[in-house]
Amino acid sequence: MRSLWWKILGVIIFLYVIIVGMSTPMKPGFTGDVVPFLHKAGTKATFSVTGYNTHFTQPDTKAWLKLDSSSLVEIHDINAKSDVEAIFSVQLPTHLPTQDSTLDATLLVSNSKDGTAILPGALFITQETIDPNVTSFNNISKIDFPRYEGFAFPFRSTLHETVRNTFFHVAIWFAMYTVLIVGLIYSIRYLMRPKMRYDIIASSFTEVGVLLGFLGIMTGSVWARFTWGAFWTPDVKLNTAASFILIYSAYLVLRASMPDQDRRAKVSAAYNIFAFATMVPLIIIIPRLTDSLHPGNGGNPALGGEDLDNTLRMVFYPAIIAITLLSVWISSLVSRLRLLKDDYMSRR
Amino acid sequence: MKNKQFLLSIFLVILSINLLSAESGSIDFLRSTGKIYSVVAVIAVIFLGISWYLFRLDNKITKLEKEIYNEEKR
Repeated sequence: MRSLWWKILGVIIFLYVIIVGMSTPMKPGFTGDVVPFLHKAGTKATFSVTGYNTHFTQPDTKAWLKLDSSSLVEIHDINAKSDVEAIFSVQLPTHLPTQDSTLDATLLVSNSKDGTAILPGALFITQETIDPNVTSFNNISKIDFPRYEGFAFPFRSTLHETVRNTFFHVAIWFAMYTVLIVGLIYSIRYLMRPKMRYDIIASSFTEVGVLLGFLGIMTGSVWARFTWGAFWTPDVKLNTAASFILIYSAYLVLRASMPDQDRRAKVSAAYNIFAFATMVPLIIIIPRLTDSLHPGNGGNPALGGEDLDNTLRMVFYPAIIAITLLSVWISSLVSRLRLLKDDYMSRR
Repeated sequence: MKNKQFLLSIFLVILSINLLSAESGSIDFLRSTGKIYSVVAVIAVIFLGISWYLFRLDNKITKLEKEIYNEEKR
Protein backbone atom coordinates (compact mmCIF):
# COMPACT_ATOMS: atom_id res chain seq x y z
CA MET A 1 0.00 0.00 0.00
CA ARG A 2 2.92 2.35 0.65
CA SER A 3 4.50 2.09 -2.81
CA LEU A 4 4.09 5.15 -4.96
CA TRP A 5 3.94 3.91 -8.54
CA TRP A 6 0.24 2.97 -8.72
CA LYS A 7 -0.79 6.34 -7.28
CA ILE A 8 1.23 8.16 -9.96
CA LEU A 9 -0.24 5.76 -12.54
CA GLY A 10 -3.76 6.64 -11.35
CA VAL A 11 -3.06 10.39 -11.62
CA ILE A 12 -1.53 10.03 -15.11
CA ILE A 13 -4.43 7.91 -16.40
CA PHE A 14 -6.96 10.34 -14.91
CA LEU A 15 -5.16 13.22 -16.64
CA TYR A 16 -5.36 11.26 -19.92
CA VAL A 17 -9.11 10.73 -19.34
CA ILE A 18 -9.74 14.45 -18.73
CA ILE A 19 -7.64 15.62 -21.70
CA VAL A 20 -8.71 13.06 -24.32
CA GLY A 21 -12.25 12.73 -22.95
CA MET A 22 -12.92 16.45 -23.05
CA SER A 23 -11.00 17.52 -26.17
CA THR A 24 -12.16 14.84 -28.63
CA PRO A 25 -14.83 16.38 -30.87
CA MET A 26 -18.30 14.96 -31.40
CA LYS A 27 -19.32 13.56 -34.77
CA PRO A 28 -21.67 15.85 -36.73
CA GLY A 29 -25.31 15.61 -35.69
CA PHE A 30 -28.44 17.64 -35.08
CA THR A 31 -29.64 19.59 -32.07
CA GLY A 32 -33.15 20.84 -31.50
CA ASP A 33 -36.20 20.01 -33.56
CA VAL A 34 -37.00 20.28 -37.23
CA VAL A 35 -39.35 23.25 -37.76
CA PRO A 36 -42.12 22.64 -38.77
CA PHE A 37 -42.40 19.03 -37.66
CA LEU A 38 -45.77 17.98 -39.16
CA HIS A 39 -46.16 17.45 -42.92
CA LYS A 40 -48.70 15.93 -45.33
CA ALA A 41 -47.92 13.39 -48.03
CA GLY A 42 -48.07 14.75 -51.58
CA THR A 43 -47.22 18.33 -50.54
CA LYS A 44 -43.99 20.23 -50.73
CA ALA A 45 -42.31 20.13 -47.32
CA THR A 46 -40.07 23.04 -46.35
CA PHE A 47 -38.32 22.83 -42.98
CA SER A 48 -35.30 24.20 -41.17
CA VAL A 49 -32.73 22.12 -39.27
CA THR A 50 -30.01 23.00 -36.75
CA GLY A 51 -26.79 21.04 -37.04
CA TYR A 52 -23.98 20.49 -34.56
CA ASN A 53 -20.36 20.32 -35.80
CA THR A 54 -21.80 20.14 -39.33
CA HIS A 55 -20.67 21.92 -42.50
CA PHE A 56 -23.84 22.49 -44.51
CA THR A 57 -22.09 25.04 -46.75
CA GLN A 58 -19.87 22.35 -48.30
CA PRO A 59 -20.68 22.24 -52.04
CA ASP A 60 -21.08 18.45 -52.10
CA THR A 61 -23.73 18.40 -49.34
CA LYS A 62 -26.57 15.99 -50.06
CA ALA A 63 -29.69 15.23 -48.05
CA TRP A 64 -32.33 12.51 -48.01
CA LEU A 65 -35.50 11.60 -46.19
CA LYS A 66 -35.58 7.94 -45.19
CA LEU A 67 -39.20 6.73 -45.13
CA ASP A 68 -38.63 3.09 -44.20
CA SER A 69 -35.70 0.67 -44.09
CA SER A 70 -35.15 0.81 -47.85
CA SER A 71 -36.96 3.92 -49.14
CA LEU A 72 -35.17 7.22 -49.70
CA VAL A 73 -36.42 10.54 -51.09
CA GLU A 74 -33.59 12.81 -52.14
CA ILE A 75 -33.81 16.46 -51.06
CA HIS A 76 -32.58 18.54 -54.01
CA ASP A 77 -33.37 21.98 -52.64
CA ILE A 78 -30.77 22.70 -49.93
CA ASN A 79 -30.47 26.30 -48.74
CA ALA A 80 -27.58 26.47 -46.28
CA LYS A 81 -27.64 29.70 -44.23
CA SER A 82 -24.51 28.76 -42.35
CA ASP A 83 -22.55 25.63 -41.46
CA VAL A 84 -25.07 24.73 -38.79
CA GLU A 85 -28.32 26.13 -40.20
CA ALA A 86 -30.11 25.08 -43.35
CA ILE A 87 -33.57 25.09 -44.93
CA PHE A 88 -34.54 21.99 -46.88
CA SER A 89 -37.38 21.71 -49.40
CA VAL A 90 -38.66 18.43 -50.78
CA GLN A 91 -41.70 17.16 -52.71
CA LEU A 92 -43.16 14.34 -50.62
CA PRO A 93 -44.60 11.31 -52.49
CA THR A 94 -48.42 11.05 -52.69
CA HIS A 95 -48.42 7.64 -51.04
CA LEU A 96 -46.08 6.65 -48.27
CA PRO A 97 -44.56 3.12 -48.29
CA THR A 98 -46.65 2.04 -45.30
CA GLN A 99 -50.13 0.69 -44.56
CA ASP A 100 -50.48 3.17 -41.66
CA SER A 101 -51.74 6.71 -41.99
CA THR A 102 -48.64 8.20 -40.33
CA LEU A 103 -44.89 7.77 -40.72
CA ASP A 104 -41.73 8.96 -38.94
CA ALA A 105 -39.15 10.03 -41.49
CA THR A 106 -35.41 10.04 -40.77
CA LEU A 107 -33.24 12.84 -42.11
CA LEU A 108 -29.81 12.02 -43.57
CA VAL A 109 -27.34 14.75 -44.48
CA SER A 110 -23.93 13.92 -45.90
CA ASN A 111 -20.87 15.57 -47.36
CA SER A 112 -17.20 14.72 -47.68
CA LYS A 113 -16.25 16.61 -44.48
CA ASP A 114 -18.99 15.43 -42.09
CA GLY A 115 -19.64 11.91 -43.30
CA THR A 116 -23.33 11.14 -42.83
CA ALA A 117 -25.29 12.79 -40.03
CA ILE A 118 -28.57 11.12 -39.04
CA LEU A 119 -31.63 12.57 -37.29
CA PRO A 120 -34.19 9.85 -36.45
CA GLY A 121 -37.83 10.94 -36.26
CA ALA A 122 -37.05 14.23 -37.99
CA LEU A 123 -40.44 14.63 -39.70
CA PHE A 124 -43.91 13.32 -38.89
CA ILE A 125 -45.75 12.73 -42.17
CA THR A 126 -49.47 11.95 -42.44
CA GLN A 127 -51.29 10.59 -45.50
CA GLU A 128 -55.03 10.82 -46.12
CA THR A 129 -55.42 7.78 -48.40
CA ILE A 130 -53.52 4.53 -48.12
CA ASP A 131 -52.38 2.80 -51.29
CA PRO A 132 -52.72 -0.97 -50.68
CA ASN A 133 -50.32 -1.83 -53.52
CA VAL A 134 -47.53 0.48 -52.36
CA THR A 135 -44.07 -1.07 -52.11
CA SER A 136 -40.77 0.15 -50.75
CA PHE A 137 -38.71 2.24 -53.15
CA ASN A 138 -35.68 -0.07 -52.67
CA ASN A 139 -33.20 2.65 -53.58
CA ILE A 140 -31.11 2.87 -50.39
CA SER A 141 -28.52 0.32 -51.53
CA LYS A 142 -27.72 2.38 -54.65
CA ILE A 143 -26.31 5.26 -52.62
CA ASP A 144 -22.80 5.28 -51.21
CA PHE A 145 -22.95 7.18 -47.93
CA PRO A 146 -19.64 8.81 -46.93
CA ARG A 147 -18.22 7.97 -43.51
CA TYR A 148 -16.73 10.42 -41.03
CA GLU A 149 -12.94 10.32 -41.20
CA GLY A 150 -11.12 10.98 -37.96
CA PHE A 151 -11.33 10.40 -34.22
CA ALA A 152 -14.63 11.58 -32.75
CA PHE A 153 -17.25 10.42 -30.27
CA PRO A 154 -20.65 9.26 -31.61
CA PHE A 155 -23.38 11.87 -31.56
CA ARG A 156 -26.62 10.51 -30.08
CA SER A 157 -29.86 12.45 -30.07
CA THR A 158 -30.76 13.89 -26.62
CA LEU A 159 -27.32 12.85 -25.29
CA HIS A 160 -25.24 15.27 -27.38
CA GLU A 161 -22.04 16.17 -25.50
CA THR A 162 -23.25 14.56 -22.27
CA VAL A 163 -22.04 11.19 -23.62
CA ARG A 164 -18.75 12.23 -21.98
CA ASN A 165 -20.39 11.79 -18.57
CA THR A 166 -19.94 8.04 -19.12
CA PHE A 167 -16.26 8.46 -18.21
CA PHE A 168 -17.11 9.89 -14.80
CA HIS A 169 -20.57 8.71 -13.73
CA VAL A 170 -20.18 5.06 -14.81
CA ALA A 171 -16.51 4.82 -13.77
CA ILE A 172 -17.45 6.02 -10.26
CA TRP A 173 -19.91 3.13 -9.89
CA PHE A 174 -17.25 0.65 -11.03
CA ALA A 175 -14.79 2.10 -8.52
CA MET A 176 -17.48 1.85 -5.84
CA TYR A 177 -17.98 -1.87 -6.55
CA THR A 178 -14.22 -2.48 -6.23
CA VAL A 179 -13.90 -0.57 -2.96
CA LEU A 180 -16.98 -2.25 -1.45
CA ILE A 181 -15.69 -5.70 -2.44
CA VAL A 182 -12.40 -4.98 -0.63
CA GLY A 183 -14.44 -3.90 2.41
CA LEU A 184 -16.47 -7.12 2.20
CA ILE A 185 -13.34 -9.29 2.03
CA TYR A 186 -11.90 -7.66 5.15
CA SER A 187 -15.23 -8.01 6.99
CA ILE A 188 -15.20 -11.74 6.23
CA ARG A 189 -11.57 -11.97 7.34
CA TYR A 190 -12.50 -10.24 10.60
CA LEU A 191 -15.25 -12.75 11.29
CA MET A 192 -12.81 -15.60 10.58
CA ARG A 193 -10.06 -14.17 12.75
CA PRO A 194 -10.99 -11.15 14.92
CA LYS A 195 -8.11 -8.73 14.43
CA MET A 196 -8.77 -5.00 14.92
CA ARG A 197 -6.68 -4.28 11.82
CA TYR A 198 -9.20 -6.08 9.55
CA ASP A 199 -12.11 -4.14 11.03
CA ILE A 200 -10.37 -0.81 10.47
CA ILE A 201 -9.54 -1.60 6.83
CA ALA A 202 -13.08 -2.88 6.15
CA SER A 203 -14.69 0.23 7.64
CA SER A 204 -12.40 2.65 5.75
CA PHE A 205 -13.01 1.03 2.37
CA THR A 206 -16.76 0.80 2.94
CA GLU A 207 -16.92 4.45 4.00
CA VAL A 208 -15.22 5.56 0.77
CA GLY A 209 -17.57 3.23 -1.12
CA VAL A 210 -20.57 5.03 0.39
CA LEU A 211 -19.05 8.40 -0.60
CA LEU A 212 -18.63 7.13 -4.19
CA GLY A 213 -22.21 5.83 -4.18
CA PHE A 214 -23.53 9.25 -3.15
CA LEU A 215 -21.40 10.89 -5.87
CA GLY A 216 -22.69 8.34 -8.39
CA ILE A 217 -26.30 9.18 -7.53
CA MET A 218 -25.65 12.94 -7.62
CA THR A 219 -23.82 12.86 -10.96
CA GLY A 220 -26.53 10.62 -12.39
CA SER A 221 -29.11 13.09 -11.17
CA VAL A 222 -27.39 16.02 -12.92
CA TRP A 223 -27.06 13.94 -16.09
CA ALA A 224 -30.76 12.97 -15.94
CA ARG A 225 -31.76 16.65 -15.67
CA PHE A 226 -30.29 17.36 -19.12
CA THR A 227 -31.32 14.19 -20.92
CA TRP A 228 -34.53 12.91 -19.29
CA GLY A 229 -35.61 16.37 -18.10
CA ALA A 230 -35.79 15.86 -14.33
CA PHE A 231 -33.33 15.43 -11.47
CA TRP A 232 -35.20 12.37 -10.23
CA THR A 233 -37.67 10.06 -11.92
CA PRO A 234 -39.49 7.17 -10.21
CA ASP A 235 -37.42 4.70 -12.22
CA VAL A 236 -36.56 1.21 -10.95
CA LYS A 237 -32.81 1.63 -11.25
CA LEU A 238 -32.82 5.01 -9.51
CA ASN A 239 -35.00 3.87 -6.62
CA THR A 240 -33.11 0.63 -6.03
CA ALA A 241 -29.81 2.54 -6.15
CA ALA A 242 -31.16 5.02 -3.59
CA SER A 243 -32.34 2.24 -1.25
CA PHE A 244 -28.99 0.48 -1.57
CA ILE A 245 -27.19 3.70 -0.59
CA LEU A 246 -29.49 4.01 2.44
CA ILE A 247 -28.68 0.41 3.48
CA TYR A 248 -24.97 1.19 3.31
CA SER A 249 -25.43 4.51 5.15
CA ALA A 250 -27.00 2.47 7.95
CA TYR A 251 -23.64 0.67 8.22
CA LEU A 252 -21.98 3.98 9.13
CA VAL A 253 -24.78 4.87 11.57
CA LEU A 254 -24.49 1.42 13.15
CA ARG A 255 -20.76 1.86 13.69
CA ALA A 256 -21.14 5.34 15.13
CA SER A 257 -23.78 4.15 17.61
CA MET A 258 -21.62 1.50 19.33
CA PRO A 259 -18.92 2.68 21.74
CA ASP A 260 -17.56 -0.79 22.51
CA GLN A 261 -14.83 -1.59 19.95
CA ASP A 262 -15.06 -5.37 19.78
CA ARG A 263 -18.82 -5.46 19.65
CA ARG A 264 -18.90 -2.73 17.00
CA ALA A 265 -16.39 -4.63 14.88
CA LYS A 266 -18.31 -7.91 15.09
CA VAL A 267 -21.80 -6.46 14.42
CA SER A 268 -20.67 -4.16 11.60
CA ALA A 269 -18.73 -6.97 9.87
CA ALA A 270 -21.87 -9.11 9.88
CA TYR A 271 -23.98 -6.17 8.69
CA ASN A 272 -21.50 -5.42 5.89
CA ILE A 273 -21.96 -8.92 4.47
CA PHE A 274 -25.73 -8.45 4.61
CA ALA A 275 -25.49 -5.03 2.93
CA PHE A 276 -23.34 -6.39 0.10
CA ALA A 277 -25.74 -9.28 -0.38
CA THR A 278 -28.66 -6.86 -0.82
CA MET A 279 -26.69 -4.70 -3.26
CA VAL A 280 -26.37 -7.42 -5.89
CA PRO A 281 -30.12 -7.98 -6.46
CA LEU A 282 -30.99 -4.30 -5.89
CA ILE A 283 -28.61 -2.79 -8.46
CA ILE A 284 -27.70 -5.65 -10.77
CA ILE A 285 -30.71 -7.99 -10.97
CA ILE A 286 -34.03 -6.18 -10.30
CA PRO A 287 -33.51 -3.30 -12.81
CA ARG A 288 -32.75 -5.83 -15.56
CA LEU A 289 -36.05 -7.61 -15.00
CA THR A 290 -38.23 -4.55 -15.53
CA ASP A 291 -38.42 -1.57 -17.86
CA SER A 292 -36.09 1.27 -17.06
CA LEU A 293 -34.94 4.49 -18.68
CA HIS A 294 -31.44 3.77 -17.50
CA PRO A 295 -29.15 2.04 -20.04
CA GLY A 296 -28.19 -1.53 -19.25
CA ASN A 297 -31.71 -2.45 -18.07
CA GLY A 298 -34.96 -3.74 -19.53
CA GLY A 299 -33.53 -4.40 -22.98
CA ASN A 300 -31.60 -1.11 -23.05
CA PRO A 301 -28.02 -1.78 -24.15
CA ALA A 302 -25.32 -0.20 -22.00
CA LEU A 303 -21.90 -1.55 -22.87
CA GLY A 304 -22.67 -2.45 -26.46
CA GLY A 305 -24.08 -1.38 -29.77
CA GLU A 306 -23.55 2.17 -30.93
CA ASP A 307 -23.97 3.66 -27.46
CA LEU A 308 -20.44 2.70 -26.44
CA ASP A 309 -18.33 2.46 -29.57
CA ASN A 310 -14.59 1.90 -29.78
CA THR A 311 -13.72 5.61 -29.55
CA LEU A 312 -15.57 5.90 -26.24
CA ARG A 313 -14.00 2.66 -25.00
CA MET A 314 -10.52 4.15 -25.48
CA VAL A 315 -11.35 6.65 -22.72
CA PHE A 316 -13.99 4.74 -20.74
CA TYR A 317 -11.84 1.74 -19.71
CA PRO A 318 -8.87 3.92 -18.62
CA ALA A 319 -11.38 6.08 -16.67
CA ILE A 320 -12.53 3.01 -14.70
CA ILE A 321 -8.91 2.10 -13.89
CA ALA A 322 -7.99 5.68 -12.93
CA ILE A 323 -10.95 6.35 -10.65
CA THR A 324 -10.59 2.90 -9.04
CA LEU A 325 -6.90 3.54 -8.31
CA LEU A 326 -7.66 7.01 -6.89
CA SER A 327 -10.45 5.72 -4.63
CA VAL A 328 -8.27 2.85 -3.37
CA TRP A 329 -5.66 5.52 -2.61
CA ILE A 330 -8.13 7.60 -0.58
CA SER A 331 -9.38 4.48 1.25
CA SER A 332 -5.84 3.40 2.09
CA LEU A 333 -5.09 6.89 3.47
CA VAL A 334 -8.16 6.68 5.72
CA SER A 335 -7.27 3.19 6.94
CA ARG A 336 -3.62 4.16 7.58
CA LEU A 337 -4.76 7.11 9.68
CA ARG A 338 -7.13 4.91 11.68
CA LEU A 339 -4.48 2.22 12.16
CA LEU A 340 -2.08 4.87 13.48
CA LYS A 341 -4.74 6.21 15.82
CA ASP A 342 -5.57 2.71 17.04
CA ASP A 343 -1.89 1.99 17.63
CA TYR A 344 -1.41 5.27 19.52
CA MET A 345 -4.49 4.75 21.69
CA SER A 346 -3.46 1.22 22.66
CA ARG A 347 0.08 2.30 23.61
CA ARG A 348 -1.03 5.21 25.78
CA MET B 1 -17.46 26.03 11.51
CA LYS B 2 -15.33 25.74 8.40
CA ASN B 3 -17.08 22.51 7.56
CA LYS B 4 -20.47 24.20 7.75
CA GLN B 5 -19.40 26.95 5.38
CA PHE B 6 -18.11 24.36 2.96
CA LEU B 7 -21.38 22.42 3.05
CA LEU B 8 -23.26 25.67 2.49
CA SER B 9 -21.15 26.46 -0.57
CA ILE B 10 -21.84 22.99 -2.02
CA PHE B 11 -25.55 23.55 -1.44
CA LEU B 12 -25.40 26.95 -3.17
CA VAL B 13 -23.58 25.49 -6.19
CA ILE B 14 -26.25 22.80 -6.57
CA LEU B 15 -28.96 25.42 -6.14
CA SER B 16 -27.38 27.65 -8.79
CA ILE B 17 -27.24 24.74 -11.26
CA ASN B 18 -30.94 24.19 -10.58
CA LEU B 19 -31.81 27.86 -11.04
CA LEU B 20 -29.75 28.14 -14.22
CA SER B 21 -31.53 25.19 -15.74
CA ALA B 22 -34.97 26.46 -14.82
CA GLU B 23 -34.42 30.06 -15.85
CA SER B 24 -35.21 30.45 -19.52
CA GLY B 25 -37.05 27.47 -20.91
CA SER B 26 -35.44 25.31 -23.52
CA ILE B 27 -32.28 27.25 -24.38
CA ASP B 28 -30.29 28.00 -21.23
CA PHE B 29 -26.63 28.18 -20.32
CA LEU B 30 -26.09 24.56 -19.30
CA ARG B 31 -27.84 23.30 -22.42
CA SER B 32 -26.00 25.60 -24.82
CA THR B 33 -23.32 24.22 -27.16
CA GLY B 34 -24.53 20.65 -27.11
CA LYS B 35 -25.02 20.41 -23.29
CA ILE B 36 -21.24 20.42 -22.67
CA TYR B 37 -21.73 22.41 -19.45
CA SER B 38 -23.70 19.55 -17.90
CA VAL B 39 -20.49 17.50 -18.19
CA VAL B 40 -18.69 20.33 -16.39
CA ALA B 41 -21.39 20.22 -13.68
CA VAL B 42 -20.89 16.46 -13.24
CA ILE B 43 -17.12 16.85 -12.87
CA ALA B 44 -17.67 19.71 -10.40
CA VAL B 45 -20.00 17.54 -8.28
CA ILE B 46 -17.39 14.75 -8.13
CA PHE B 47 -14.60 17.19 -7.30
CA LEU B 48 -16.63 18.93 -4.57
CA GLY B 49 -17.64 15.59 -3.05
CA ILE B 50 -14.09 14.24 -2.94
CA SER B 51 -12.66 17.50 -1.60
CA TRP B 52 -15.33 17.60 1.14
CA TYR B 53 -14.20 14.12 2.17
CA LEU B 54 -10.53 15.16 2.08
CA PHE B 55 -11.30 18.19 4.29
CA ARG B 56 -12.88 15.85 6.84
CA LEU B 57 -9.85 13.56 6.67
CA ASP B 58 -7.59 16.59 7.15
CA ASN B 59 -9.54 17.58 10.28
CA LYS B 60 -9.16 14.09 11.74
CA ILE B 61 -5.41 14.05 11.09
CA THR B 62 -5.07 17.48 12.74
CA LYS B 63 -6.93 16.19 15.81
CA LEU B 64 -4.63 13.18 16.13
CA GLU B 65 -1.54 15.35 15.66
CA LYS B 66 -2.67 17.74 18.39
CA GLU B 67 -3.30 14.83 20.74
CA ILE B 68 0.15 13.38 20.13
CA TYR B 69 1.93 16.76 20.59
CA ASN B 70 0.01 17.54 23.78
CA GLU B 71 1.03 14.12 25.12
CA GLU B 72 4.69 14.80 24.38
CA LYS B 73 4.64 18.18 26.13
CA ARG B 74 3.36 16.74 29.36
